[in-house]
Parts: sequence; structure tokens; C-alpha cells
Amino acid sequence: MAEIARRRQLGLNAMGGRIGHVLDTEWVFGYVLVAPAIVYILLLVAYPFAVALWFTVSNATVAQPIAEFTGLTNLMGVLNDDIFRRALLNTVIFTISSQVLQMFFGTFLAFLLLRRFKGRPFVRALIMLPFTIPIAIGAMAWTWMLNPTYSVINWVGVHSGFFGIFGLTEGPNWLGEEIPAMISIILVNVWRNLPFTAIVLTAGISAVPQEIIEAANLDGANWWVRWNKIMVPIVAPILYIALLFSLVFTSTDMTVVWLMTRGNPVESTHVIASYAFQTGVIAGSLGRGATMSLFLFPVTLVAAFLFLRNIRSRSMD
Amino acid sequence: MAARTQAHHSTAYRLRRLRGSVIFWGVLGLYILFAAFPVYWMFITTFKQVNDLYNLQNNPLVFHLAPTLDQVRYLFERTNFVTWVENTAEVGLAVVVITVLVCVPAAYVLARTRFPGGGTLGIGIFLTYLVPPTLLFLPLSQLVVGLGLVNNKWSLAVVYPTFTIPFCTWLLMGFFKNVPREITEAARVDGCSRLGAMFRIVLPVSVPGIMTIVIFAFTLAMQEYVYALTFVSSSDQKMITLGVVTDLIRGDVFFWGSLMAGALIVSIPVAIVYNMFMDSFVRGITGGALK
Repeated sequence: MAEIARRRQLGLNAMGGRIGHVLDTEWVFGYVLVAPAIVYILLLVAYPFAVALWFTVSNATVAQPIAEFTGLTNLMGVLNDDIFRRALLNTVIFTISSQVLQMFFGTFLAFLLLRRFKGRPFVRALIMLPFTIPIAIGAMAWTWMLNPTYSVINWVGVHSGFFGIFGLTEGPNWLGEEIPAMISIILVNVWRNLPFTAIVLTAGISAVPQEIIEAANLDGANWWVRWNKIMVPIVAPILYIALLFSLVFTSTDMTVVWLMTRGNPVESTHVIASYAFQTGVIAGSLGRGATMSLFLFPVTLVAAFLFLRNIRSRSMD
Repeated sequence: MAARTQAHHSTAYRLRRLRGSVIFWGVLGLYILFAAFPVYWMFITTFKQVNDLYNLQNNPLVFHLAPTLDQVRYLFERTNFVTWVENTAEVGLAVVVITVLVCVPAAYVLARTRFPGGGTLGIGIFLTYLVPPTLLFLPLSQLVVGLGLVNNKWSLAVVYPTFTIPFCTWLLMGFFKNVPREITEAARVDGCSRLGAMFRIVLPVSVPGIMTIVIFAFTLAMQEYVYALTFVSSSDQKMITLGVVTDLIRGDVFFWGSLMAGALIVSIPVAIVYNMFMDSFVRGITGGALK
């Protein structure tokens, strides 16, 4: 039966049959079908990345993209740029503080969401809102909520008497002063990423078999042992991937800063990405801009490598 | 049985439970307030009359004058909002087509066939997703110049697959892995070619997975901001998210009512879709850790 079907197929179209036969070899089939994806990524990710590397050691500008090799001039220029140094510091501050806060509050939230209660899907949908709406939109909503004149947060702060506790008669100009602006940016980053951390943790924790926890409970393990010896090893891989993603995307994001402060007041709230955009795209200095956007890449690469190696070694056990 | 339960629920026990549940809902309520208030604020701002919105004497949290559709009307009639919706539909569709054509075969072989370097390629594609837009916008802007697509929405259709392809390939691999090997092996024994087995056996049962990547490719394209801001500046070439957050600011004047109306219109469909597909989305991102 199978033989007849095969012969019929070959007989119907000898030429197509031959091509089909070659394509039917497992490795040929694999390479041919994966090729479009690889070609797309080579052309539009790998090649541009190589061009970016070239930009960092050249004096390319938008007006003159064919450039000369200038060695470390860009790197030196960037390192001597006070605004860039501030942007570097800000990137580190924003990334680390957001990660710590979202991990802390996210773990707490995950345990709340794991309980069974009425209206859980609805509550979950509300909690997920910051993550499900586009970040540019969320940043604009916060910009409006922190408006110097019409800030609803300040209105509530003043009218509830909360600001009075600190001796304030009116709220801060959130996005117009340095420290409040930095707090606002961290706040929006946490707002955005908290639900993702919580949902990933919920998924990870739900994957822990109930019997193991019960067995540990019977053995009299306290919550710290339960957490450290049972939860963490099982939850860690998924959590590490989530951390890696939010680390990479928070440290390279320019949307929040660009929409909320555009680096102001007096260029004190730039992050590397927003300053690279200002230098490379708006001012058209491709070499300088690329040097900035690639500045943290080695760090990210090492972090990604360590995270992935850790995950792999854990899943080997 | 009932009596025993009753006795067990002494007053002290009930009080303790009540206290626990008050604390639980109190804390959860704070989280909900933090997460959802900006959306409530978009909603209030959208439907308030201008005189109400900008009156500092009023409690901003509630309506003082009757709700109005003026701001929504302004968005539709006095801005390019409708053009942005059309642009989003066109570019989004192109991104979806490219993504599906590239991802389905790639994910299929990465999930179901063995060839030298296959595993490495899979991880390589996954890592591509970790390359952020702010790393590539400068060289890509030169590429866009080379393609003659400066300030043209179609430049985005070329660029967006750089992040939809890795994400969707990874997501789809999960779906393809779950189709039992036996059914394709049976088809192969019956003389079906590898390609035939893919088209006739595996793809038909993977329609939900393919629909999921269609939706993600479209919404990821719809909400993108950095590339859009870099490559497109004319209002009539903008996609919806960029248009809403840039075109309703004229000089120093923000048209907050209409801006928030646009924000709401963009957010609601995306939020609903992401909620429905949240588990897939998380799997798309974290899949590497679980498989």
C-alpha cells in the first residue's frame, strides 16, 4: 500500500519527484526551511550590528555616512562627555532600582494572585494592565498624571493631607525637577514591569508540585527552607529568563525617558539610549551615537551569557 | 456534618478570617489602584469637557459637567487618526505576512527535525530577540535610506520582523513540539514527503498556534515606538501609537483629552488580546527556560 502510494507520487512528476527527493533528506529539509529566518536576521540584525560597530570607530554622520576610520576618538569623546556620564549613571540607577523594586513587590503580588478568590480573572486583568498597554501610551498617561499644573497625584496628595505630613503645601513639579523626575521614571518602569515579574513568578510557583511542598511541611521545614530549597530551584530558570529580559529591556529603553522628560531638566535624566537617540538621530552624529548605544553591550552580553549558563546548569541537574 | 462545621466556626475563628480577608483585599486593592489608575485617568480625561478638565477648583477624579464626546470627535475629525489606523492595518498586515512566511517553516524544522547546528540556530534566533531597537536604529536608518524608504511607513514593515521573527519562531516551536511525532511518522510511512507531512498533517492541527503568532506580530508592530520615531516623521505616514503620542502636542500645547482618547482606543484592544493570550506570551518569552 505504502509502496504503491510512493510509486504513484514519483510517477506523477518525475522532475518534481527528484527535487522532492533531495528536499526529503532530513538535513536539506531543515536548512532550506530555516534559511529565510536566518537570512532575514543576517541582513537586518547581524549586518546592521556590524555597521554599528564600524560607526563606533569612524566619523560617520548622517550627512556623510561614508566615513574614515578614527580609532578611539568616539569612545574618548563619549567618555569625556558629562551628559553621557550622567546618562550612564542614570541607566544603572534606573535599571537596578526598578529590578529590585519589581522583584520585591512582584514576589509579594505573585503570592496574592496564587490564592483562590472571587473575581480572580478580573483582578488579574486589572493588575496586568500596565504590561498589556503599549509602553509609549503608558508613559504619556503618567506624563499627564504628573503634569506641573494639573497633576492628579498632587491634587490627591494635597487634599488627602498626605503632602502636609512632609510640610508641603503643594506637590513637587515631578518632571521639572531632577530628583522627582528620576523618581517618576523609576516609578513608571516599576509600574510597567511589575505585572510581568508577578505573572512569571506565578507561573513558576504553580509549576512546583504540591506534594513536594506538603512533604516539606510534614518534615517541619520552615518557610525560609521551603522558599530557598524548594521554590527557588524550581522557579529559578523561568525567573532568570524574566530577569534577563527586563534587565536588557529596561537598560536599553528610551521610550519612558524620551516621552516623560526628554532628558530634562538640564539633561540630568537622560539614559544612554535617549542620549544616543538625541546624538545619533536628531543631531545626526552616527559615530558618537553608535558608540553610546553600544557602550553597555559588552556588559549585557556577559550578563546574558552568565544567566543562560546558570539556567542550563540548573536544568542539567 | 453541618452542625460540626458550625461549631468549628467560632466567633474568634470568624473574626480572624475576616481580618485576614480585609488585609488581603486591602493590599490587593493597593496593587490594583497602582496598576489600573492610569487607565481610569485616561478614561476620565477622554470624556471630560475641556472646561471641567482644566478647572483647578474641581475635584479632578469625577465629572462635574456632563461627559462629552468632543475630544474623541476632535481626534477623528481634526487629526490624521483615521490615516494612522489605516497605516497600522496595512503595515501590520505586511509584518504579519512576512512573519508567518518566515516563522512557520523555521519553527517547524527547529522543533521537529534534526540537522547539524539546528539547536544552535534555535538559540541564536532566541538571542536575537534580546537585541534592543536602540542598538540598531542608527545603522538601520542608513539601510532605510539605501532602500529609498526615508519617512515612509513601509520602512517599518521591513524592520519590524527583526523582532517579530525571533519572538514568534520561539513561540511557534512550542506549538509544533506538542504535535505527536507518531502522526507524521505514520504519514511518512504512507509515502508522504516531509513537506507534505508538514502541510497536510501538522499545520492543520497547529492553526491555533499560527493564529497566536498572527496576533502577536500585529500587536507588537502596532505598539512599537522607537523605530517608528526614528524612521517616520510625516503625520500621514505614522502608525497609531506614534501618531497619538506625537501629533496631539502642538508646540507646547498638549491636547490631553484627545491624546488620552487615542491612548484609550489603542490600549483597549491590545490589553484584551494580551490578556487572552497572556500565558502564550509569557511562554514566548520564557520558553527557553522551560524546554
